[in-house]
Amino acid sequence: MKKFLVLLFTVFLVAVLAACTANENAGEEEPADDAEAAEENGETGESDEASGEKILRLNNGVEPTSFNPSIGFDQVSWDPLNNLMEGLTRLDKESKAGPGAAADWEISEDGLTYTFNLREDANWSNGDPVTAEDFVYAWKLMLDPETGSQAAFLAYFIKGAEAFNSGEGSADDVAVTAVDEKTLEVVLEAPTGFFLDLLTNPAFFPVNHKVAEENPDWHAEAESFVANGPFKLESWEHDSEMMFAKNEEYWDADAVKLDKVHFEMVNDTNTQYQMFESGELDTASIPPELSDQLIDGDNVFIGNYGGLEFYRFNLTEEPFQNKKIRQAFSHAINRADIAEFVVKNGVEPAYGFVSPGFITPSGEDFRDVNGDLTTFDAEKAKQLLEEGMEEEGYDELPPIVLSYNTSDSNKAVAEAIQNMFIENLGVEVSLENQEWGVFAEAQQNLELQFSRSSFINDYNDPVNFLESFITDSYMNRTGWSNAEYDELIAKGKSETDEEKRWEYLLEAEKLLAEEMIAIPIRYYNTVVLEADGVSGILRHPVGYFDLKYADVE
Amino acid sequence: MLRYILKRLLIMVITLWIIITLTFILMVSIPGSPFNSERSSNETIQANLESHYNLDEPYHIQYLLYLKSIVTFDFGPSIKKPDQSVNELLGRGFPISFELGIVTIIVAVISGIILGIIAALRHNGFIDYMAMGIAVLGISIPNFILATLLIQQLAVNFDIFPVATWKSPAHMVLPTLALATGPMAIIARLTRSTMLEVLTQDYIKMARAKGLSPWKIIIKHALRNALMPVVTIMGTLLAGILTGTFVIEQIFAIPGMGKYFVESINQRDYPVIMGTTVFYSAFLIIMLFLVDIAYGILDPRIKVNKQGGE
Repeated sequence: MKKFLVLLFTVFLVAVLAACTANENAGEEEPADDAEAAEENGETGESDEASGEKILRLNNGVEPTSFNPSIGFDQVSWDPLNNLMEGLTRLDKESKAGPGAAADWEISEDGLTYTFNLREDANWSNGDPVTAEDFVYAWKLMLDPETGSQAAFLAYFIKGAEAFNSGEGSADDVAVTAVDEKTLEVVLEAPTGFFLDLLTNPAFFPVNHKVAEENPDWHAEAESFVANGPFKLESWEHDSEMMFAKNEEYWDADAVKLDKVHFEMVNDTNTQYQMFESGELDTASIPPELSDQLIDGDNVFIGNYGGLEFYRFNLTEEPFQNKKIRQAFSHAINRADIAEFVVKNGVEPAYGFVSPGFITPSGEDFRDVNGDLTTFDAEKAKQLLEEGMEEEGYDELPPIVLSYNTSDSNKAVAEAIQNMFIENLGVEVSLENQEWGVFAEAQQNLELQFSRSSFINDYNDPVNFLESFITDSYMNRTGWSNAEYDELIAKGKSETDEEKRWEYLLEAEKLLAEEMIAIPIRYYNTVVLEADGVSGILRHPVGYFDLKYADVE
Repeated sequence: MLRYILKRLLIMVITLWIIITLTFILMVSIPGSPFNSERSSNETIQANLESHYNLDEPYHIQYLLYLKSIVTFDFGPSIKKPDQSVNELLGRGFPISFELGIVTIIVAVISGIILGIIAALRHNGFIDYMAMGIAVLGISIPNFILATLLIQQLAVNFDIFPVATWKSPAHMVLPTLALATGPMAIIARLTRSTMLEVLTQDYIKMARAKGLSPWKIIIKHALRNALMPVVTIMGTLLAGILTGTFVIEQIFAIPGMGKYFVESINQRDYPVIMGTTVFYSAFLIIMLFLVDIAYGILDPRIKVNKQGGE
């Protein structure tokens, strides 16, 4: 015991010594790093104030994949890129597509031809005017099969686009034309009600073709990057940090309040939270283990995020060929408990497939119109299971394996669901987790019986998700095929009457829930801690964040 | 000596080739592709991507392409960061990992040896238990726990150091402390046990009998021999620490190359997997070679130039 105490004392002594010596070093090297900043939780650093510049300090998590609009197909690329560049349209404060680089546009009677008039004062950060040719160049580059763009499918609504991308057509047949320097004409394959919204997606950003033809790698470094958005890329130290500066050439530069935006690349939830706590970052996400403590704070932003966590049935494997058994499994899950006690962070349980925030032409939320399409009802679940087993002639269910890709949060949800099946259905399922790549391939090849999935919307229309389940779709991954559903989706994409088009989509979602080929669990949301004085950051349910109107005090 | 070195070089090249081949076989045999994602996609896009990165070629062609890339030291662009070549990634990350690694090794070796010597000289005494107590703690506390603790106390609560990132010498202190503790503890224990052994040897008694000063005996006669096991582990330790550590670099947001070892495999970023494997293997093999050479210098009983004298 005595020895142990001595040991403890020694450890303490060493720690104190280390801290003291270290303190001296730090004092010399960073005099500006004062203790006050840490106490006044997340206040903007003194040095920023002193120089009179408004700098917003954010964390991008990791290095962006690419700032080439057609390559960086992920949030870590497109969140920053959305502030460096601007498409024909831009999401406004109400998350609706409003004028961007295009001042206005005309749509033909048949809904097929869009003519965009670009702003006369829309310029690139190097002073070049933003021209119609810049859009033609960018979009054809994205669709070129040689480019290998993962975002190319977003442009398939344009006439000739899919053929070119699959190597059957040519670039000349893609119906995007520069009528003159500031007029762009686009012809669509079929009327597409959400086309203007789609154009806010970074995949449709222009590329300064004069710069790109001279230097194809213009987007790889800060020195060669040309921006047409609210900010320009001032410096970029790969894997480490980026600095954006206000783009004076931007047509709406007067609306931009920030002088600079600084991005760190910190890929550890705890570290970024601690940097926020010590005042080194202005926003942060909430580490899962601190959720209960922090989620109700005044400095927390919670918003919709168009996405769904769900479990897919494999209809080619027993017992999930049976609709009633599938429905039974859905009714046995207590989603409210999963949202509140397992996932936490203020997420909403999902009783439908399309997440809240998609507004119908009559101004209602798609989710509210269709309401709850499944429930938590243990009695009903048991009854449906019994009926289903009778239909299939089962005395007992075949063994069921629930698979998920390895992660702490997926495991927690899977275990909760496993428990609910035992409790509410009397069915024991076994759990299996796999590394992501192995899991994804097995799911794609229909080798998993019952497996986890998630979906994040690419554009602001329910068809984006619902389309996944049409026959033989790459995203189907359930083995399900239903002619009626395929028909509803086809109409839901091309119907010119917007009211009717949404009707079809509402019908489609109901059919999906009736067939219950996947069990919705919960919707995604955006939860961000914001330091005092930070305001005006637009976070859209679908789309990428916008710092155009952001401000720090 | 020259013949020995040439022979070793040849063995090094063959070893490297075996490693590359095994890595390639393992790499293509794990299921999954770099383009698996929950995001929307379709067959056309997947096919375009595969042909863009030559992944639709038969395996033997891919293997030859890899061998070519290794011989020419050009691993091509990363699949997951297409704007950057693997050479750029490693060229940027390695100096940072190396910087952190060197400082860590220096701290670990110096403090480890000092702790070990003190413990050995005060064998079974109070100081011995203290020193070994610290060593046991150092070995048993994982560095990521220590890292979190250091951040919480020294960066958030006391605000002495910045929490993370890699910008000034002050940013280096916490990761170095977190990283050095483990190796320091191992070195301390090794030094202590061999010192104890050496101190009972006849030539030490002889030195004492000659009337040499105690410190001269320790530094010149005892330590030199006691360091042999430490030198042995230095090869692997150096290669491991100098090429970056995934966890510490992630926690402190250090842009080193440690993350590529883990992320490239998770993401099936084949060129990066190959690049990191070749780089690390070559580095490790060279380190082990240098250690063998160092033996000969430290201990004249080991002759590297004679047959079977390794």
